[in-house]
Amino acid sequence: MANWAILSGIEGNLAAYEAVLADIRRQRQPVTDLYILGDLVGLRGDSEEVVRRVRSPQRGEPIPQVCTGWWEEQCFSLHGIRGLPDAPELVERYGIGAVKDLWEAVSRQTVQWLADLDFGFHELDCLLIHGSTVSYGDELTPETPPIQLCDRLIRADANTLFCGRSGLAFECWVEPGALRSTVTTLDQTAAPQDQEKSPRRVVGVGNVGRQGCQPSYVLYNPGTDQVSFKCVQSSPARGFGAARPKK
Amino acid sequence: MKLAVISCIHGNYEALNAVLSDIDAHKADQIYCLGDLVGYGPHPNAVVEMVRSLDIPTCQGCWDEDIVEGLNACDCSYPSQLAEKRGHLAHEWTNRAIHPEVREYLACLPMTLRQDNLCFVHGSPNSQHEYLLPTMDGFAALERVLAAEADVLFCGHTHIPYLRELENGTLSVKVQHPGQSETHREFTAPLKRIVNAGSVGEPRHGRPNATYVLYDTDSAQTTLREVPYDYEKTCAAIIEQGLPPIFAWRLARGMEFAERAEDAGHVCER
Repeated sequence: MANWAILSGIEGNLAAYEAVLADIRRQRQPVTDLYILGDLVGLRGDSEEVVRRVRSPQRGEPIPQVCTGWWEEQCFSLHGIRGLPDAPELVERYGIGAVKDLWEAVSRQTVQWLADLDFGFHELDCLLIHGSTVSYGDELTPETPPIQLCDRLIRADANTLFCGRSGLAFECWVEPGALRSTVTTLDQTAAPQDQEKSPRRVVGVGNVGRQGCQPSYVLYNPGTDQVSFKCVQSSPARGFGAARPKK
Repeated sequence: MKLAVISCIHGNYEALNAVLSDIDAHKADQIYCLGDLVGYGPHPNAVVEMVRSLDIPTCQGCWDEDIVEGLNACDCSYPSQLAEKRGHLAHEWTNRAIHPEVREYLACLPMTLRQDNLCFVHGSPNSQHEYLLPTMDGFAALERVLAAEADVLFCGHTHIPYLRELENGTLSVKVQHPGQSETHREFTAPLKRIVNAGSVGEPRHGRPNATYVLYDTDSAQTTLREVPYDYEKTCAAIIEQGLPPIFAWRLARGMEFAERAEDAGHVCER
């Protein structure tokens, strides 16, 4: 039976990623698929080592399926691979010093590997993506206006949209109540149409490695359509400066 | 106040003249233009000069942008390789034909215009390339009007005029944070409208007549206008100028010739 683990926002925090992998291994129902919704790399920690670990799963671990996130896009911008040059979003948010830090944190070779990752995954009736189909930077939260959440679900063409941009863990069911639409053309006024009313949901998958947060991720059972939120206990060894695990 | 909203003139001077005469006859107080002044048609400079001389507030269309920025859109711009090839030919022709001051004018056009509770865009508030089709999901359409912070959103780009009224929109949201109790939010939207102005110079509603809209700001009455003109003159000019003859063929029929994007909601990532 399929059991997906979905996570995002490792941001170079290898110890936090290892803690999540350990938690995944402990699940009674084995995890069959592992999705990482972007932000493998970041300013802190050891992004190179995280990428190496993601690319080299240990025996018995699911092979991670990874899409790009906000931090990867900053790397592409910085290295002139795509998007606006010179990472203006990065500078605006973290200051000019972040340019040098990110440049040093992620090698050109790694950036080229990241550039080949997918923008998101459509699996069954789900879309798994960092932001939304509008943009990698689209930050969906429970406070996002309902009509915007509804729009993102329609655009996603999915019943469940898993996203990681906000770093928050939440499940947001959006249920259309009513909407009467009448279209008049040059030739006729069509009878008013009522819109489809099936509820759909946006799921925030939490974040693994952001500073000051406890690592969190999501388990999803496609058979039962159940989402469960997992929060991994911090250990004294956890953190950006934590020792690397034995290989 | 009576507004006339025109869009997608596409270098068709004959059609523009006919529409301006019709607007005069209906005594509109103000004209707005939703872009795509150039492309496909044989008279891009004359069209721009006319719009400028009448001081018509105009927003930038996708063709206007392409002429300024160059063709760098992603694959979404054309629904087929054939359409793409023809589009490129028209782009190259227009690029050679337009005067420097026309290019400069097109470069300075805004993406959005506003008047009170009305918003004017070429494609959608998100992009000049997004098609707001009348068949688009009602909630997605409503989101575009709300994103524009307007009661009425005027758009073009599809070349087929329509009025869409969206009433009694309601949504409920149930939020669950791990370890916390469930919360609920309700959303309701008042009546919103999308008005597509059709196309002056390259109509695709199945007849060759130019189309535009009249809108009364006091009564919110929207009138879709269809204006006959001497389209054969434009067709002859298209062929004389060496533009692809298919443009004349479809202009004479008001047909899209199967040039419909498969994913109309796709937003071009440049």
